[in-house]
Amino acid sequence: MTALLEIEDLRVTFNTRHGQVTALDSVSLHVNEGETLGVVGESGCGKSITALSVMGLIPSPPGRIAGGEIRLDGENLVGASDKRLRRLRGAEAAMIFQEPMTSLNPVFTVGEQIAEAIMLHQKVSHDRAFRDAIELLDRVGIPSPESRARDYPHQLSGGMRQRVMIAMAVSCRPRVLIADEPTTALDVTVQAQIFDLLNEIQRDFGAAIVLITHDMGAISEMADRVAVMYAGRVIEEASADNVLDHPLHPYARGLIDCIPALGREETDLKEIPGVVPPLHLLGEGCAFADRCAHCEPRCLREKPRLVTHGNHPAAHPAACHGVEEGRI
Amino acid sequence: MTFSILLKRLGYGVLLMLGVVVLNFLLIRLAPGDPAMVIAGEMGGATEEMLSSIRAEYGLDQPVLTQLWIYISNVATGDLGQSYFFNQSVTSLIAQRIGPTILLVLVAQLLSILLGVFMGVIAARRPNGPISAFVSVFATVGYAVPVFWTGIMLIIFFASVFPIFPVEGMASIRMRNAAWYMQWLDIAHHLVLPAVTLAIIYLAQYARLSRASMMEVLGSDYIRTARAKGAGERAVLFRHALRNAALPILTVAGLQFGNLISGALLVETVFNWPGMGRLAFDSILRRDYPTIMGVLFFASMMVVVANILTDLSYRLADPRLRGKG
Ligand SMILES: Nc1ncnc2c1ncn2[C@@H]1O[C@H](COP(=O)(O)OP(=O)(O)OP(=O)(O)O)[C@@H](O)[C@H]1O
Ligand SMILES: [Mg+2]
Repeated sequence: MTALLEIEDLRVTFNTRHGQVTALDSVSLHVNEGETLGVVGESGCGKSITALSVMGLIPSPPGRIAGGEIRLDGENLVGASDKRLRRLRGAEAAMIFQEPMTSLNPVFTVGEQIAEAIMLHQKVSHDRAFRDAIELLDRVGIPSPESRARDYPHQLSGGMRQRVMIAMAVSCRPRVLIADEPTTALDVTVQAQIFDLLNEIQRDFGAAIVLITHDMGAISEMADRVAVMYAGRVIEEASADNVLDHPLHPYARGLIDCIPALGREETDLKEIPGVVPPLHLLGEGCAFADRCAHCEPRCLREKPRLVTHGNHPAAHPAACHGVEEGRI
Repeated sequence: MTFSILLKRLGYGVLLMLGVVVLNFLLIRLAPGDPAMVIAGEMGGATEEMLSSIRAEYGLDQPVLTQLWIYISNVATGDLGQSYFFNQSVTSLIAQRIGPTILLVLVAQLLSILLGVFMGVIAARRPNGPISAFVSVFATVGYAVPVFWTGIMLIIFFASVFPIFPVEGMASIRMRNAAWYMQWLDIAHHLVLPAVTLAIIYLAQYARLSRASMMEVLGSDYIRTARAKGAGERAVLFRHALRNAALPILTVAGLQFGNLISGALLVETVFNWPGMGRLAFDSILRRDYPTIMGVLFFASMMVVVANILTDLSYRLADPRLRGKG
């Protein structure tokens, strides 16, 4: 069975003042219908760029898809015409952005903005689209949607705005819904509500969800499968339980150690030492090498590939020489 | 709510005009020269007797504050005094001239905003493209060149090289008895060069401003959202981006209005356009103080009205400002 969305060997480069940098390097991912894929990793590891590539929204210049394929239902979207991508965006694939405060246009009412999304893809009158928008606002749990639809974004709270974004994203029942850190900017209580909403929407609409986050807690609640990214590469991939219970890559282990366990004091919270190296300083070897407790000379020379090592029942793909050599 | 804001703005406007009247009056009085001498000069000889009778007639023998008070109360009733030179009331003089000036200023303003913004939008689409480079060069040159120079160059070009536009006046004498629409066309024909001259300098500014403003807006998150829902390039540029990019442009348009009016003074003089600019020019040369003050009064009034309109349209364009005092 081919997956609904397949990303294969995706490579994205940016022209920067440090020269050309590779933001994504042979990234391969897939999501099946009705499935939720979690994508995790620290800030700057390329999660948003991956999502934007699928939408055909890499800011270009300076960015460029330099190689690989993105297939939706077998159709390659890399190099597809602008017209095709416009028809795709919002209709077949939709995206919820990381920044609810600034992602809505300040000069149009929220109802208007949702109605526009509907009218771009369906031949319906403005009145009809606006009524649908009100219904969607109701659906995403916005109280008194009739009057809220006539509000401007600045009149709504961050959580409400993110709900509006979700309503807009699902307005044309996309087959793939990409949620890029949909809750980072929101209160903890609101975060839980948004995740519940995404779950419900997946149940009702049957969309495949790509949930981007650096919150492992959200992953354990939402995701069926998880891809862990680091410095523009996928370094581990498996079912959510598998990754959470048997992380292989030292970076994945570090991330999971960072999940605050119930009842544990905040002060016990661990952190992976060091920071993600800037893209233009990535060298020959493993990008995680300088933060890794298990680093050996080979790690500095050679990039590990994402493959399954060993035949343990929980074995799954991980890009790590240590795992390959059985050291870790 | 909006109504009370309008009232408040109007109140400020009236206060501002009062300040303008007082300042105008005092500045003119501070200027060297005796108005009585000027008036006498126009009439011919000037004996001491004549001078004092002129002073009495025009109230110039009163203390300055009393004169100021009389002037203010006259202005409040719409009486701007009697021109020393034209033998008419200043109000009627201005009534004849204000139409052409408003026509010139509005057309130039519209021309510069529409064309400038359009150029800026096109340029912002491809900040490194050839159109963008052209706009930058044009903006710098347009900004640097004084209006009278542009005017004179246009006159030279169109008077001798390529005579398709009239370079002088507002209407042709042969059109005096033509149908009304022919007269309008004739005025429009005469308007081309003065309006273009006046517009160029501001057009350059609007082009540069809207290029910068559009580039900033085009990089914002909500533009990405618009693209993500499948909006086409034209909708993104003109519906989503321009509405936001227009806010700073509106502000500048309001502020520029005063400059535009003073620019009109020069342009009217260069093209012999029968507006307030020419009137100001003539009355300054002749030290026709009441007329000068009247022209200043109306010019300030136009600026104040323009600012109130800008403020209101700003609120209309930006929902975040609605209802805020
Ligand atoms: N316009 C750009 N120009 C140059 N480099 C860019 C640009 N946009 C992104 N990058 C680079 O691409 C890399 C990946 O960025 P991305 O936004 O995908 O990170 P992320 O994983 O989404 O991080 P976060 O959790 O902070 O959202 C970053 O290292 C960044 O430096
Ligand atoms: Mg991101």
